[in-house]
Amino acid sequence: MRNMFRQRRGVVVAAAAILAATSALVAGRVLASDHQDTPEVELNPRMDINDVYAFPGSSADRIALVMTTSSPIAGQSASFDPDLLYQFKIDNTGDATEDLVIQVTFDDGTGTAQKATVRGPVAPAMTGTKSSLVATGDKITVNVGSTGGSATGIQVFTGLRADPFVIDLEQFFNIIPDRRPSTGPLSTPSTATASAFRSPGVDFLRPFNALAIVVELPKSMLQSSSAADAKFGVWGTISR
Amino acid sequence: MRHTLLALALPAALVVGACGSDDNDSTGPNGERVYVQVERLGNPLVSEVFFPKRDHGLHNNSAPATDVANGFGAKIKAFTDAFNRGNTIGNTLGAVLVPDMLMVFPNRAGSSAGWLSWALANGYGGRKLTDDVVDAGLTATFGNLLDASATVLPGLTSDNVPMTVRSFLATFPYLESPR
Repeated sequence: MRNMFRQRRGVVVAAAAILAATSALVAGRVLASDHQDTPEVELNPRMDINDVYAFPGSSADRIALVMTTSSPIAGQSASFDPDLLYQFKIDNTGDATEDLVIQVTFDDGTGTAQKATVRGPVAPAMTGTKSSLVATGDKITVNVGSTGGSATGIQVFTGLRADPFVIDLEQFFNIIPDRRPSTGPLSTPSTATASAFRSPGVDFLRPFNALAIVVELPKSMLQSSSAADAKFGVWGTISR
Repeated sequence: MRHTLLALALPAALVVGACGSDDNDSTGPNGERVYVQVERLGNPLVSEVFFPKRDHGLHNNSAPATDVANGFGAKIKAFTDAFNRGNTIGNTLGAVLVPDMLMVFPNRAGSSAGWLSWALANGYGGRKLTDDVVDAGLTATFGNLLDASATVLPGLTSDNVPMTVRSFLATFPYLESPR
């Protein structure tokens, strides 16, 4: 059984930065950069957001939001954590506070018998780091692994997908050896064997999956106006 | 505390909710369950790259509304300053990444979508599956993407894995089937 790695994406940039570091202060800061170092997140990969995406949908008036979590996952048996609340948050008034939330929760089923419930987009009951499920409004319920909702309204998919992220993680470890895992094929050597990325690089994450949430909807449901320069900010959160 | 990278041996059947002993029992004014945020992510790379370890909890346990007051811009600039990348790079990164939200201008041309395109080219912004944010982050920090006069550090501006190694779907749900 090969060992897998759970490694936050941005550490690669920090790792490359260490090559240019000439001060212990900088090196210490780079070594410290890692997304998973709050104890809760480190111990439970289901609480780890890997990436968030937002891009035009199937037509000009639609937008797709994607959140990947829990990567790297080997195999196809992983299920979402029914104790967690996954949200897309949207600020469309320019004050960095969410005006709308899309809330996704799961029941305690497993595999494709697990069900996802999607609420929103809707004004949240509370803003900031505390959340409660919005009691009113429409909900979409769909089995994990299936697409639900409607292609002209809110369309939803939750489930395992190949990890979309791309990085030469092995070379990253060659550059920054103290980021290596403690076991497995990438655990040695313990000293740096490279000072630059190799060419060509290796797509290390290719074999792995993530638990993904994909929501596509009319952009009119998120924006506060139809003006040419209308804007909104999006971020993903996991709460417990 | 020095971060230790965990190496996981993942069995074929992953257990759901393996760490559920710390349930949050808070309830709201109507008796509803109140969830507490444990993780957030807007722009890729922000917390992981620019913030010292002692601030990672701050990022995960706070919301964008307090990013400016919490000095996230200064933290970003402190990082780039440590590599002598200059004021243009540090200030630009701080300006576009704080508050930490993925900005979208939905009524601009969809063909202009891409991470930070709203800041760099008056584009749609957002983040596409095909955006190479690793290279973008490396180039922004160690190249001259944000400052044409900055020194380019060779070997560090790309991990040399192109996004063409992914074959994203043209239709919903866009991500590839699981491996």
